[in-house]
Amino acid sequence: MRPGTFVRLAVAGNRTDAARVALTALSALLASLAVLAALSVLAIQTPPGDSGAHSEQYTNALLREPGLRGGTAFAILLLTIPVLALAGQCARLGAPTRDRRLAALRLAGATPGQVTGIAVLETGLASLIGTLIGLASYLVGRALLHRPDTDGRLPLPTDVLPTLPELALVVLALPMVAAAATALMLRRITATPLGVVRRTRRAGPPRPWPALLIALGVLGAALFQPIREASGDRLTRWFFVGVLVVAFAAVLGVILGAAWISRQTGRLLHRHASSPAQLLAAGRLSEDPWAGSRTFAALLAALVFGAGAAAFRAQFQLRDDIERKQNWQSDFGDGRNEFYLRAVDLVDLAVAVAVAIAAAGLLVMLIEGITARRRTYAALVAGGVPRATIGVSILWQVLTPMVPAVLLALGAGYTIGRLLNPDIVLAGDWETVCRATTELCADPATRDRHTELVRTGGMTYSPDVPLDQLALLGAGAVAATLLTVGLGVLFLRQNTAVEELRAG
Amino acid sequence: MSTPHVLLGLLAGGTKHGYDLKRAHDERLPQARPLAYGQVYATLGRLVRDGLVAPAGQERLAGPDRTAYALTEEGRDALDLWLSTVEPPMPHVNSTLFAKVVVALLVADVTRARTYLIAQRRAHTDRLRELTALKTNPTATVDDVVAADYAIAHLDADLRWLHTTLDRVADWHREVHR
Amino acid sequence: MTQLQARGLVRSYGPTPALRGITMEVAEGEIVAVTGPSGCGKSTLLHCLAGILRPDAGEVAWRGHRIDTWSEAARSRLRRTEFGVLFQFGQLVAELTAAENVALPLLLAGTGRRAARTAALTWLDRFGVAELADVRPGEMSGGQQQRCATARALVTEPRVLFADEPTGSLDTLTGEQVLTQLVRLAREQRTTVVLITHEPRIAAYADREIVLRDGVIDHTGLGLDAAPVTGGVR
Repeated sequence: MRPGTFVRLAVAGNRTDAARVALTALSALLASLAVLAALSVLAIQTPPGDSGAHSEQYTNALLREPGLRGGTAFAILLLTIPVLALAGQCARLGAPTRDRRLAALRLAGATPGQVTGIAVLETGLASLIGTLIGLASYLVGRALLHRPDTDGRLPLPTDVLPTLPELALVVLALPMVAAAATALMLRRITATPLGVVRRTRRAGPPRPWPALLIALGVLGAALFQPIREASGDRLTRWFFVGVLVVAFAAVLGVILGAAWISRQTGRLLHRHASSPAQLLAAGRLSEDPWAGSRTFAALLAALVFGAGAAAFRAQFQLRDDIERKQNWQSDFGDGRNEFYLRAVDLVDLAVAVAVAIAAAGLLVMLIEGITARRRTYAALVAGGVPRATIGVSILWQVLTPMVPAVLLALGAGYTIGRLLNPDIVLAGDWETVCRATTELCADPATRDRHTELVRTGGMTYSPDVPLDQLALLGAGAVAATLLTVGLGVLFLRQNTAVEELRAG
Repeated sequence: MSTPHVLLGLLAGGTKHGYDLKRAHDERLPQARPLAYGQVYATLGRLVRDGLVAPAGQERLAGPDRTAYALTEEGRDALDLWLSTVEPPMPHVNSTLFAKVVVALLVADVTRARTYLIAQRRAHTDRLRELTALKTNPTATVDDVVAADYAIAHLDADLRWLHTTLDRVADWHREVHR
Repeated sequence: MTQLQARGLVRSYGPTPALRGITMEVAEGEIVAVTGPSGCGKSTLLHCLAGILRPDAGEVAWRGHRIDTWSEAARSRLRRTEFGVLFQFGQLVAELTAAENVALPLLLAGTGRRAARTAALTWLDRFGVAELADVRPGEMSGGQQQRCATARALVTEPRVLFADEPTGSLDTLTGEQVLTQLVRLAREQRTTVVLITHEPRIAAYADREIVLRDGVIDHTGLGLDAAPVTGGVR
């Protein structure tokens, strides 16, 4: 095939395909921006000197202190997880139509390699455009935001640049990973051109194995603190990688586990369904449980992330409270240090944005699902099934697996966050205490024998479970979903028009 | 239809009287034109003459002589040959229906031809409905269903032809009178 | 008694007229075929008669009640309880088993699940597909799917069954079997049937045939008005 033909076939498609390409590019752009930001933070040079030497050119302590920079970069990198989940979700957008088009190409004589090549080219090119725009925005943003204050200090690390190989890696590696993922997803289509037409079912129902991934994440988080205490600060940098892996495992576990949850709740609903709407939803859930994973991927990733952040916030809040109390006790004045809390505010903002993006993705998937089943819906309506029944069934179908999946995501995220933030133990003062009867203690002769040196005022502070914040996250996610379903159901009318029933 | 071969086939199961042959014929081919006795005996006579069938004893009951007939070896071969010969698929179009429309166009006008086609179509439709009712009757035997199917398929083909010809009759007329 | 009645039905899709004044009646227990070439308005007529579409002008009455003025909800209820609809394909819910698909109209009417399943099994048995009760449509042949769909259309024992090319996607023998069972059961229950088809063979299953051409009923049954009369007259 000539390259021109190749590109022509890769960009052939309808508006849904265009939307998929745009969203793929957008995901790549966001991911590349996050990685570039993290790399910039890591590129900051520590001035020569002892371990206390700070990079004094920045206004922000997160950037100034070498010990904090790793964490900052890590937090920024974590943001790529919901973005990647969104990318995976977008890849499924309009996929049935595209799969059919590719299968048609196979029937027309294209080799499996050519067909895979076309799809891979689409994803790869879209991602490359995304990362290139990402790089450009990064460079432009860097110039625009380079605003030293009167002391010549910078709010952002706009004076450093990641190395050229690093930049090249970001721009090229992301599209390659995306292309490889696409090639992987197309195995079924390339295998048989009729496979799509015949709609072969996915091999087997989902299994509860993803729970192991979550357990792995929790276990890793639990080991974090003991290992750090044992090893001191030598391995700090590796810990961030470790935590990234742990968080990724947990997110993946929750997303894949959503399929199992879908199937189980579907079966449960099926057993107890008392209305046709419930029956329809139950059938759909247990028949295509992977739809749940696909639909909620980005949302669940954002929630795991948000719940983890809530644990961090609780810890910072506690530390702030303790410090304020001590300052007050030692008469240091107000001394409020909300620095960390502000940092978590930023994370929360990112989570809110991620939830919003995820809700948009959910809407797209929902409309896609309705459109794909329009003939059945139209036939049901013609047979006297009220549209409201179908709308309610879609609501059941979305909410039934969603509520447990959201609880799981919040639970896993919070547990991991909490394990990474152990109780705060404060040492008290040494005091002598006489452990005997008042008489014995009053007598200086006997007192010494009963006196011990103990630490008092030492306290272990546990952060409260931030129930209100977790509830807010869950409620926000559910509300966003409800809104999305409401919007999606608006499309029912045009998709149940009697024209859909015309034969042929 | 090849009556001699049908009789040979009916005799293949064992000897039969002329009367039995007529009954078996009408039962097995329910939608065919019923066979007259005279035709049965005339055909049997020819088959005996050609050595395909031989008389196999007589019995006199309360009535006329009844001769039973049996298939000869030659008869069996002839039947076998007939069964293994493929019928030529429609070598000539010699349907009265077709001829009548042609003649109507030759001697009369389009309206006349069309009137005929309309009447024919109605008759075909009525017969089609009749046969369908017969076939879907719960008491219908497979004999009935298969025979009705055969007729239905042919009526259906005729009806399709009538439909398209009605749309073509004006052009056809023009061609005939060029 | 007159089961269905249409008077002066007009319906257009944008500027394209599909029905241009249809007046007809269907008696109780009657099986009527509506035939005509593609695009003559057959399906639109069925949709109007079944209350799926509202005509632009004219009236549709069911047992003397004018239904075209009813609300969507009321017409939905009518279709659910008194009518059955059957299409060429694509009407079964892919995620539900055959028994659940057939039981669906009963469940909508408020029947309990167990009772609905029992009724569904009876109807599947009548169409000879009882062994498919727990199979999903994706695993059935086209003929089996259509038998299930027919069972679903009849499970509420409707007064009128609307069938739009019900055998259009089936081979001759399978189509014939489905149709024979359908007609037999309809006659037993005195169900009125409106059967849309373009095949004379299928139309022959009906008691009466209504021929449409370009949105009007062709009373000669032959489409004379549409054919240009030309050529010499002798």
